[in-house]
Amino acid sequence: MFELKNVIPFPLIEKKGVEKSNIWNKQLLFDNGERIKITAPSGTGKTTLIHQLYGLRKDFNGSIFFDGIEIKQLSSHQIAIQRQNLVGIVFQDLRLFNQLTARENIELKRVLQTPYYDSSKIEEMAQLLGIDHILDQPASSCSYGEQQRICIIRALIQPFKWLLMDEPFSHLDNKNKQLAIELISNECNKRNAGFILTDLDDDLYFTYSRILYL
Amino acid sequence: MSELNKLLNKLIRDNAGKAKLFTAMVGLTIAILLLLISVQLQLNFNELLNSKNNKDSIANFLIINKEITDASLGNTQLDDSIINQIKGQSFVESVGLLSPSRFKASIESNSSQFPFYTDISFETVPSAFIDLQQTNWTWNEQSPYVPIIIPTLFLDFYNFQFSLSQNLPQITPAIVKMVLFKVTVYGKNGSRSFNGKIVGFSDRIASMLVPPEFMNWGNNLFAADTKNQVSRLIIKTKDPSNPNLTKFLKQHQLTTDTDKTRFSKYRKVVDTVVKLIGVAGFILFIFSIFIFTLFIQITIANCKEEISLLIVLGISPNQLRKFLMGRFFPIYCWLVLIATIIVMILQYLLHINLAKQLVMISPFIDPITLGSALMVILVIWWANKSTIQKAVYPKNAH
Repeated sequence: MFELKNVIPFPLIEKKGVEKSNIWNKQLLFDNGERIKITAPSGTGKTTLIHQLYGLRKDFNGSIFFDGIEIKQLSSHQIAIQRQNLVGIVFQDLRLFNQLTARENIELKRVLQTPYYDSSKIEEMAQLLGIDHILDQPASSCSYGEQQRICIIRALIQPFKWLLMDEPFSHLDNKNKQLAIELISNECNKRNAGFILTDLDDDLYFTYSRILYL
Repeated sequence: MSELNKLLNKLIRDNAGKAKLFTAMVGLTIAILLLLISVQLQLNFNELLNSKNNKDSIANFLIINKEITDASLGNTQLDDSIINQIKGQSFVESVGLLSPSRFKASIESNSSQFPFYTDISFETVPSAFIDLQQTNWTWNEQSPYVPIIIPTLFLDFYNFQFSLSQNLPQITPAIVKMVLFKVTVYGKNGSRSFNGKIVGFSDRIASMLVPPEFMNWGNNLFAADTKNQVSRLIIKTKDPSNPNLTKFLKQHQLTTDTDKTRFSKYRKVVDTVVKLIGVAGFILFIFSIFIFTLFIQITIANCKEEISLLIVLGISPNQLRKFLMGRFFPIYCWLVLIATIIVMILQYLLHINLAKQLVMISPFIDPITLGSALMVILVIWWANKSTIQKAVYPKNAH
């Protein structure tokens, strides 16, 4: 579970209106299996929060604990183990290796730890999301929407207890969004995993256990 | 290769250039080669000094006395302080005092067919320093004869010069040992005669040697003075070519068989050359390590973005280090292996060449040289590991 204690990013300390946030400078507990939606307009720190939870950013006051251990204190090795087995992520800016094919980008995350799924699962998920035909293309030649779906499959191919998603459907049409939501929901159910999803607006993509405004 | 490594190979490529890499590899091989050669040469040299297989073993005995100069005339005795100094030197294994006879003596033939007479003097030395295994190297007044050891040179002198010039027959050592002759000792208490017999020939000490008991008896009874002076020493040393020995003798105006110590000059040259090779190898080795460290750093810098994304996705420091080590370390191991094989071949060729001159060195390289090769690998491993660690995680970044 995630526990946030008075977390506030350095750039937001002096900013007006921060006190209205449900998250910044508050005490929060995200229980395992919870499905949390974080809604906020641009520039209020959604991506910053996701990166803090993932251990990428340390420029904030307060503390974030994951399963009782403060994330800032984790060693390189511990944080790697956490990213391999406990926390999956869909970045807003995707972060794919352009020189690898779509399949290789997903495969890399599959074999980084003891594989959770067989490699055939990549094909299966790609079919579900309608991108099986581009699996062997370099990621750089795929459209943004296709890349977004590659990122979703990359996050789902690994074992996790929590899935962090930063505006994961921003470039998907409604039909593809629905397919992705179903797949994510199923994969979380299989693992009894929770997720934290950020987006600009309110939505009913999932049945959320909590909706927080940043 | 694992699936992960296949993918990492696609992501992390070395762009430093094949020609440069090859040149650096050649440089490192030469460096390792020089290092190993200097170690092996030193070991070969030690083997030559200490081995029992060499017929021409250098371990030896040296007779030491003061240099005879105008200044030292009549003052050639060695006092206790210099004897103790010699005993304390690291190159000296043991020291024996050569005691000269201080009584007059003569030997003459008992046979009228083979007459000879000569005045003579004796020396004695502790039996440990005699190069003959003598069971009867002792004497008392009831002994049937006085055992005497003479230098082999004396017999050679007789057989190849004297007998020819005097028209006398040549004689073999066996015959000499059968001849009994008369030894007369005289001095302040009159004279005494005994039978004498040559019991052996020595290559080591150029003196007529008698057992210490005979010497003590003669000196007590017939010597004009009672002062027991030492003017020569015999030392046992592993290495007469030790430059320290030559230096010590020179400092104290002592002298010895220069033929035996002459080797020390060559030894100094060899030592210097071997050390120079070692130092050159070492410097080249350090440079090569730096160059290879640069290659690793360049590769990591070229792939900085890929590596940081890999870390973001969750590659562990161990996985990354293992992969990068796997990329570079086997190259080093191959180079060390090649250098070691070259040293093995050179050693074998040296063995064959020297064997023709009856100088025996091992055809195989020494375990210490192999150990040095392993040490080189360990140093490279450590340098690689710390370079990778610093380049990938400069500030413990996640």
